[in-house]
Amino acid sequence: MAKVGVYVCHCGTNIAGVIDVEAVRAHAETLPEVAVARKDLFMCSDSGQEMIKQDIRDGLVDRVVVAACTPRTHEPIFRAALEAGGLNKYLFEMANIRDQDSWVHANDPEGATAKAKKLMASAVGKAARLQPLEDKFVDVTKAALVIGGGVGGIFSALELADMGYPTYLVEKEPSIGGVMAMLDKTFPTNDCSACILTPVMVDAGNHPNVKLMTYSEVEDVDGYIGNFTVKVRRKQTYIDWQKCTGCGACAEACPVRTTNEFNQGMDKRPAAYIHFPQAVPKKAVVDMEHCINCAGRKLGQEPKISKKTGKPMLAPCELACPADAINRSLPLDPQGRIEEIKVGSIVVATGFQVMDKGWFKEMAPEHPNVITALQLERLISATGPTGGNLYMPSTADKKPKTMTFVSCMGSRDEKFHTYCSRVCCMYMIKQARLLKEKYPHMNIYMHFIDVRTAGKDYDEYYVGARKMGVNILKGKVGGLQIIDDHRLRVLAYDMEAGTPVEYESDLVVLATAIELPESAKKLAQTLGLQFCGSNFFKELHPKLGPVETSTRGIFLAGCCQGPKDIPDTVSQAKGAAGAAAVPLAQGKVKIEPILSEVITELCSGCGICVPLCPYDAITLKIHAEKPRAEIDITQCKGCGVCTSACPSAAIVLHGYEDEQIYAQIAALTA
Amino acid sequence: MENLKLQSEKINTAVSTIIGLGGTGILQCVQCGACSAVCPGVRAGFPVLCRLLIRKILDGQLDEIIEDSSSWGCQACNRCTEVCPQGVRPQEVVFAFRRYQAGELAVSTSTTTSQMNMYEVGHAVFTDAQELRQQVGLPAKAPTSAYNETAQKEIQTLLNNSSMAELGLF
Repeated sequence: MAKVGVYVCHCGTNIAGVIDVEAVRAHAETLPEVAVARKDLFMCSDSGQEMIKQDIRDGLVDRVVVAACTPRTHEPIFRAALEAGGLNKYLFEMANIRDQDSWVHANDPEGATAKAKKLMASAVGKAARLQPLEDKFVDVTKAALVIGGGVGGIFSALELADMGYPTYLVEKEPSIGGVMAMLDKTFPTNDCSACILTPVMVDAGNHPNVKLMTYSEVEDVDGYIGNFTVKVRRKQTYIDWQKCTGCGACAEACPVRTTNEFNQGMDKRPAAYIHFPQAVPKKAVVDMEHCINCAGRKLGQEPKISKKTGKPMLAPCELACPADAINRSLPLDPQGRIEEIKVGSIVVATGFQVMDKGWFKEMAPEHPNVITALQLERLISATGPTGGNLYMPSTADKKPKTMTFVSCMGSRDEKFHTYCSRVCCMYMIKQARLLKEKYPHMNIYMHFIDVRTAGKDYDEYYVGARKMGVNILKGKVGGLQIIDDHRLRVLAYDMEAGTPVEYESDLVVLATAIELPESAKKLAQTLGLQFCGSNFFKELHPKLGPVETSTRGIFLAGCCQGPKDIPDTVSQAKGAAGAAAVPLAQGKVKIEPILSEVITELCSGCGICVPLCPYDAITLKIHAEKPRAEIDITQCKGCGVCTSACPSAAIVLHGYEDEQIYAQIAALTA
Repeated sequence: MENLKLQSEKINTAVSTIIGLGGTGILQCVQCGACSAVCPGVRAGFPVLCRLLIRKILDGQLDEIIEDSSSWGCQACNRCTEVCPQGVRPQEVVFAFRRYQAGELAVSTSTTTSQMNMYEVGHAVFTDAQELRQQVGLPAKAPTSAYNETAQKEIQTLLNNSSMAELGLF
């Protein structure tokens, strides 16, 4: 008979504050399969682990049950202790009497103790019937994928590439750069955003190990850590990028004017366009949704022949292109094409969007002089719609005399997002400082619930704004009233004076919240990512696993995990790259043997299991001239569907065998 | 200005009193001030409304402000509730404080006439618009308790049996 050792943990007062630990230990001694029952203040401590190792070495136990916290965090520790003691590490079972007992039954100590006894006894029943198992290993594909080409994605890709791993950088827009490329300057140093980002973008574009896949989206991901197969849709550019030199002649010739997303809708761009002046790669695309098919010639049609000249009448973009990169006669597939790539690990760095001002009805969003902070960023940028001149959007050339900044629009608001967007206080202060420097006579009023400046050199930057004469008021703006086409009345409150505040303003900037874009939600389904309470991608652990996800081999960087500024994004991006490189560096990944296995002799070859497997892990193979089911261990996730469906009981799920589960049920229902 | 002495007992009493009288969201307040920015009462010179009223209650100053007439300046427009980012529903806090004041007979004199009107004709504020109604072709008397003695009697019976009667105004 098995000799089970039971070790009950106090977990300080986490467990012992509710459960009578000694009673649980004493109960263990009464179970026939238990050889030794002990308790300790912290079983995971060195002394607790040593207790287990010594009992194994002394030959007292050959199966181990720890009644403590969660296997999610602590199973690896105790398995290692078993191995160190000389026992197969899979002869171990954990009873969670903390998360599933003392924490949830804190008001019922007696009931909690009774439950702990049952959970422990159930684990003993299973442990006594456990079989030794061996880890399995498979080779990894030594390449990585980074999804999202903002500053986070670029740095993750560069780190991985510098470590020597071929890295694919997928970006949905025609150029990498993300939101940082739209910013004018960056806090707290007033570095020109483009000046510090462009060289890094160029590095990514030129790095021999980085393969840029811009104007592309991840469509499907299959596989597991070490061996992912990813389908990437290369969207149709309608311009041959092999030939395009990025001269911009097509954009100049194109007669279309449609919303310019890069300038936050504040001016127009042609249908044939280059994303922005410093784009990497600097290639043009045709936005076919807005192309007007000049001269009524649809894509894929041969041009009409001019009666006058006898020459083909080409579209303006075709005619303008000096590199012969545009040929509208070709029947190009509007869906683009699918490229399949194989990688060992994936970094998700899909970024964020800012909320639209239209959500905030009390802030007169229909007025042209009410803008979001990102729109202001474009208005003061040299590559923006006004060449960096701050004009009121209601005019072509007039500067505002009085400006207002409104914080927390959609952040810290239970109607929208309860979280703090973290960067708004600082970027508003930055914008105010830049404007005060450039236009010293402008009146600037900033309204905050409170000013949050946690970061290196951030508070000094904020105090500096006060010294420059920026007016800072504590109190949230309640609303805006439209006075005329150019002016607004601000209804605010001065918390310190305890009085309402009212004044006229020419330009109001709303610091709208950072949120996850819709497109990222679709990606989450593809990758199997989870969401946190704030609707960002959920990391494995809020403190100790900030770049990992619950899917092994998939990592997070930047604002897709939660709002953060550029330094934090870059730190996390480099961290995620380091974590993503680990399986690549190891060369092999371990597969836990908690997997299903077919006992070929019992299999009748009926094939019922094949379509049931959610992971396509089962195929029928010929054994002794008869079809028999076979499970690919690299695909199997150990879910047990096949095991329970097999009419011949020919499939075993290791670690969850029938006999073990029956013993658990018997103990729980005793 | 006298120093504010914070006493936990006074704070607990003030908060539970207001919650008990219907100001259930008071503890959610983060003192952002958006309510007071849009409050017409605050603008009209009744400072202890919305943000400041909540602050004083959270400081346990219930007795100190009991005679303050600000709360009666609330026009019940509910804009505070609309703009509040934390779901405090400041108007309900104001009304809860009014109930507290009324219960302690600290009712502003500005409300007496309205209450008497309510008792006599069934309207807190009533304007006899018979002439105006006739000019625009409507029957002179609107179908309301103001011209209906039976309805007035019913309203008086209701009020006599409500907690308003305890104020001893009618």
